[in-house]
This record gives sequence, C-alpha cells and structure tokens, in this order.
Amino acid sequence: MSIKLKLIALSLFTILVVIISPWLDFSAAGSADIQQMIIYELRIPRVLFAFTAGCGLALCGMVFQAMFRNPLATPFTLGVASGASLGAAISVYTGISFTILGLSATSLSAFAGALIAISFVYSISRFRFGFSGETLLLTGVAISFFFSSLILFIQYLSNVADSFQIIRWLMGSLTVVGYQELKQLLPFVTLTAVVIIYLSRELNLLMAGDEIATSRGVSVKYVRYALFFVTSLCVGAIVALCGPIGFVGMMVPHICRLIIGEDHRYLIPATLLFGGSFLVICDTLARLVIAPAELPVGVITTLLGGPFFLWLLMRYKSQH
Amino acid sequence: MLINAQDISVRISDKKLIESISCNAAQGDYLCIVGPNGSGKSTFLKTLIAILPIHSGKLMIDGQSISQYRHKKLARLISYVPQNGGNHLTFIVDDYVRMARYSHHHVFSEWQTHDNEVVENALNITECQAFRYRKMSTLSGGECQRVMIAAALAQDTPVLVLDEPTAFLDPHHQVAVHQLIRKLNQQHNKTIIEVTHDINHAAQHSKHVLALLDGKCLWHGPAEQFLNAERLQQLYQQAFVFAKHPHHDRLIAVADES
Repeated sequence: MSIKLKLIALSLFTILVVIISPWLDFSAAGSADIQQMIIYELRIPRVLFAFTAGCGLALCGMVFQAMFRNPLATPFTLGVASGASLGAAISVYTGISFTILGLSATSLSAFAGALIAISFVYSISRFRFGFSGETLLLTGVAISFFFSSLILFIQYLSNVADSFQIIRWLMGSLTVVGYQELKQLLPFVTLTAVVIIYLSRELNLLMAGDEIATSRGVSVKYVRYALFFVTSLCVGAIVALCGPIGFVGMMVPHICRLIIGEDHRYLIPATLLFGGSFLVICDTLARLVIAPAELPVGVITTLLGGPFFLWLLMRYKSQH
Repeated sequence: MLINAQDISVRISDKKLIESISCNAAQGDYLCIVGPNGSGKSTFLKTLIAILPIHSGKLMIDGQSISQYRHKKLARLISYVPQNGGNHLTFIVDDYVRMARYSHHHVFSEWQTHDNEVVENALNITECQAFRYRKMSTLSGGECQRVMIAAALAQDTPVLVLDEPTAFLDPHHQVAVHQLIRKLNQQHNKTIIEVTHDINHAAQHSKHVLALLDGKCLWHGPAEQFLNAERLQQLYQQAFVFAKHPHHDRLIAVADES
C-alpha cells in the first residue's frame, strides 16, 4: 500500500474514532435536554480536547526522537514533562493566580518548568565528547527523579486539599466541561504543528546527523532552538491543562514510523492523526473500564506504555 | 580562487586543533590532504563546510568570507562526504539522495524535473541504481560509500569535500571510488578536496598535496613532488622504500617493514 493510501486510511480511522467516541456508553435515560447537555457540553468537548492533547503529545515525542536520534527520547523520558509538572505544582502550592494573555499562572509556571528542564538536557547533550544516547536517557531519568522528589516535597508541605489536587492532576485527566480548556490548548498545539510542518525537511536531515545536516545547508542551531522552544511551549500547555499524560509521545510516533516510514513529510500528518485518535481511544477506555466511575487517562496510557517501552528498549539494545 | 585559506587556526576549549594553515584551490583543482591520525585533516575539512568555526585567519569561499555565508548558500557551493559510511542510517537510498537537494529549495518550492535529472545522474555516475530502493543499513560498506558520494553529487556543487572516502573498502572498491572521483574532477570539472591515508593515490591522482603534522602544515606543493623519503619519515615516523611503477615512470612508496 502506498504511503498516501495509508494516510487516507488513517484519516478515515481518525474520523470514525472521533465521531463514535462521544456516543459510547451513552444511556438514553434522562430528558432530551440532559442528553443534549451531556453530548454537547461534556462528551464532544472532551473528545476534541483529548484529540488536541494527543496531537500535541505525539508530535513533541516525534520531534524529540528525531532530534536526539533515539527512539526512547521523549519529553517524558527526558524529564521535560516532570519539569512542567513541578512548575504547575509550585503554582498550586503557592496559590498565586493571575493571567497574562489568557494564560493562567499554572500554565506559565508549567512552561517555565518545561524550559528549565529542556535547557538542562540540552546543555548536557552539548558535551559532545563521549556523549551517547544512553547518557542522554540517564540524564533525563535523573532529572525526572529530581523534579519528582521536589513535587513530593511540595505535596508534603501542602495542606490536604492542595495535596489531593496535585495528586489527582499528576495522574493526568481529560475531564472538561465546555470548551474553555480546548480554546486554551488549541493555539499552542496549532503553533507547534505549523512550526514542525514548516521544518519537516530539516527534521529529515537532522536524522542523518548534525554534520551531514549542516553540510546540506541546515542551520542546525536555529532549527534546534526553534524546535526546543515550541515543544516546551506545547508540553507546558498540555501538562498545565491535563497533567502529565505519559507514553503517548513515545508510542505513537514509533508505531507511525513502522507503518509510514521515516520521511517526516508523511510522518508528521500521520503522527498528528494517530496521536489524536490514540488519546481519544485511551480516554474512552478510561471512561468505560470501571463505568460508571472513570479512571484517570494517564493510568491507561502508562499501563499500555510501560510494556511498550520495555519492548522498545530491548529491541534498541539488541540493535546496538 | 574558489577556496582561499590564509593562516587559519581552530581551537576547541584552548586546545589547538589546527594552526596557521594556508592553502588555495581553484576551479577544477584536486587537493589531497595527508598526515598521520590526529594531525587535523578532518578538522580542516570541517572548517570548509562551517561545521567548525575558525578561530583566527581568513577563509574565503568564492571571494566571500565564510562567516558571512548562510549555511544554505554555502551548501550550494560545497558538498561533503563524511568519514563514516552511513551504514547506521535507516533511510531508503533514494530518499537520502533526494534530501540532498535541500539547499536548492525553500519550504514551498515544488520538486522540479531538473531535481529529478540531478538525482538520476548522481545515482547513475555512482552506480547506485541497482539498490536505490533499499534501506541504507542493509548495504555493504562499498555500496554505502557510493550512496554518500551520490548524495553529495545530488547537492550539485562545484566543490566536493571528501573525508577518507576509501577507508573501509576492499582494493576493488577503492579503485572504483578513486576512478569515480577522478572522473568528477576531469570530466565534470569539480574541485576535489580529499583527505586520504593512501599516499600513492595522493601522489598519482591529485594535483596538489597538503601534508599536515600536529595541526601545522608540513609541506604543501605539487603532487608529483610529494613522494620524498625524508618528508614521509618526518610525516609518519615511518621509513618508506620507493620503486618505479611498471606502467609509468612515477614513484610508488611502500612502508618499509624490515
């Protein structure tokens, strides 16, 4: 099957997922008004929100894998998400609340956390000599642990209500009412997608290594800065609004690579489509598994992602 | 003068990698750079494609200082074949060669028939057609090396810079790559700058030789004057014996193992 045909099939699959998901487990009980309310104010916004977050997470994961030339590198494995989480936790603890350009204090501190974490990873990855993919991942894990313990420390200091709020939010959730969160998230994911699509040829060349990319005419430094900046923004926004939903960014791009191939001109749309529908499916599962109660979606993605991560790690090890 | 280096030095955190090297290359020149391991050959090449910045001195490419070039514009003048063979890459050969057209395009430009011609030509000259739809990681060392050269050719530049293009090849493929480089130089009038350990190849096929030792220029001159017992001894700390090539009168040098 040609790549274009595969992309069309994937689009159809995505449309199907997005259309069906709101109606699953929909009881006909209650008045027509309540039913409409549930569909238009709860289910549809939630599916759209999940789709957008999934697009963003998958895209950021894909960019990290390409930039670091390592299938295990994602904003989550490299500690960027825990940096964002720490920022958000600090803002919950201190209780500061303000908005700049429609961004809440939580979002802004999540951005700051993401940027700090990513600059750590980047400056460590600049030590060229003796630097390997393993060092990078270990650095990411170390940064992750460091930030996680700071989050625990903040929780310990907080009162019960704040502490519960932080825990609940760390599990990752896509529960929304109305379109407010979607409106906040959409600009970031759109901006990230536009920048990444704009840089798709550069991403292809970066996969060949920095030296080859430079010799072909890519300004590697600026491309990296641009990508780091938009992915931090995107991960910061997603973490601030939905909590750290793990493993989507690692699984989705990898599965798409297996189906579509390495060319980013096709890989980016595939990752967008599949990332969105994947998170919608996970969220629907989270709603259905112990219905009428629901699981945090982060539990589902991590349960799926853990084994996948191990499988990838073993494959990666056996190749190198 | 296409490439004009005057007294260039490169440092990485106070360590001098190369020091006051000067050399020229005109259109159609063939310059071989020789020297022992760690003498700064690859460093010098990397300054030409702006992977490494020069610390002092002047490096002019086509009459303009290299620091004033955008990477993309430089990539339309100089293409680079790196030292390792690209066996670790997972691209399809065809995709990899097409990607080298990057510097001739901007983000919205369409793929032209001219691009196709250049890519086909590059694959033909390097004889890569037979495996153009295979993954690079499945190719042999010699095939992969040819793909790397094909990609550099698809970049369609007047200058071609190669870092030990025959390092991991068997004698047959070494000869094939040498012939290919000569053809590019003689028939396509490309300027070649090549790092090599094969001193006989350097002496016989290139026009100029630049011998580097400890980051400094030991000797720079016409290729036919390069083979000299004292010079080689000084360069490699190794005695050489010489013989006349049976087919022509030029000298060939053999490391003296006795």
